Amino acid sequence: MSSKQSEPSSYNLEVKGLTISRNEQPLLEDTDLSFNAGSITHLFGENGAGKTSLMRALAGLLPLDSGQILWNQIKNTHPESNFNQDLLFLAHNLAMKHELSIAENLQFYSILRGRKSSLEELSKVAAELQIENLLERHFSDLSAGQQHKVALCRLVLETVKLWVLDEPFVNLDAKTRDWLSAKMMHFAKEGGVVIFTSHQAIEGLKIHQRISLSHSEEEAA
Amino acid sequence: MFLTLLKRELMLARRNWVAVLIPLFFFVIVVSLFPFAVSPEAEFLQQIAAGVVWVAALLAVLLSLDLFYRGDFQDGSLEQLLIMASPIQVALSKVTAHWLVTGLPLVLISPLLAGLMHLNYAPNGAVEMNHTPIMMLSLLLGTPTMCLLGAIGMSLSLAASRNGMLVAVMILPLYVPILIFGSSVITASLANSGYNAQIAILAAILLFALVLTPYTTGKALKVAVS
Repeated sequence: MSSKQSEPSSYNLEVKGLTISRNEQPLLEDTDLSFNAGSITHLFGENGAGKTSLMRALAGLLPLDSGQILWNQIKNTHPESNFNQDLLFLAHNLAMKHELSIAENLQFYSILRGRKSSLEELSKVAAELQIENLLERHFSDLSAGQQHKVALCRLVLETVKLWVLDEPFVNLDAKTRDWLSAKMMHFAKEGGVVIFTSHQAIEGLKIHQRISLSHSEEEAA
Repeated sequence: MFLTLLKRELMLARRNWVAVLIPLFFFVIVVSLFPFAVSPEAEFLQQIAAGVVWVAALLAVLLSLDLFYRGDFQDGSLEQLLIMASPIQVALSKVTAHWLVTGLPLVLISPLLAGLMHLNYAPNGAVEMNHTPIMMLSLLLGTPTMCLLGAIGMSLSLAASRNGMLVAVMILPLYVPILIFGSSVITASLANSGYNAQIAILAAILLFALVLTPYTTGKALKVAVS
């Protein structure tokens, strides 16, 4: 099953026979999905249709009822899989500590990825997002939109192959939305895999695959 | 990786220093209530000293557990940590930080309470024995075990309930063996009999917990975020 002929430059995420449920309610049943290198996938569906659950399952946080998730043909939980190092999962909650400064928060995550990002790198991204003079401030001092921007900085600072983004466009101003779309397209161009959810259509973003989730069953479009 | 995680925990604890100090004050205040409530007589206090100090230490450890797990769970950091690091490392770094900022200060401040409880009291001119180092040793071996076991309970209850009392109810029964051997170390020392066996058992429980509980806590943390 796990034939290891993966080319180093191309990455793909495959989901086979996935069944997940939340609170004993089945959300997806026996679903096959595939996300290729260089593609941007838009997950959409009503509230409660299971978008977040699917994302959490893809990130390895939600246990699967059955099926498997293959990253470069290797199971994501296999010890030889680089899945966790290659994955960046941004959830609703921004996973930043209020007691730490923005720079400290971001640097901690980049250290966990194996390479501490320098202050220059930090200020460069921060400048793109107009938060460069807030780097030393505590995370709790920021407004909701600014906090969201801080979390987005991780996309640039951490070198990964797969982005799983839960509602990344929510709370953002038009300028930052454009910035994020550009980053997503750039990342995909470099061979990365992007999966995101959004309720609105994002103008200017080239989407390669749309997956709609509905309450009863899922159908890939 | 472990050091990075540990450094983060310690940094967060330093920023939250007020919350970190509360269990320590709690420990000191609970013990100092006994001379007022029971009897200020040295002979009597000496007899109950072992039990009082140990029970107070145990409650102080429980009181401080919340700080190290709840915050990360609520703001989603725990998920990120579990994606990027192995659950065992996350568990071990949290327990280590918890012990360093709560358990160790309890051990270090305990001589003060030994004085308060007249632990070294000797009636009319008998040869004075110093029991304080023995008490510190018993706490030094006991508090890490309490942190390790508490971590399991805390991780299990993270998703279940917002009520910290649930942890206390789940974990306190597991603390009984540590409490028995820990306080009997001091009692044996007061009776001038050997206490090596109790010390050895405390150390054995600690080693056992050190090997097994990080794995269990890691699993429990995984369950909590799912």
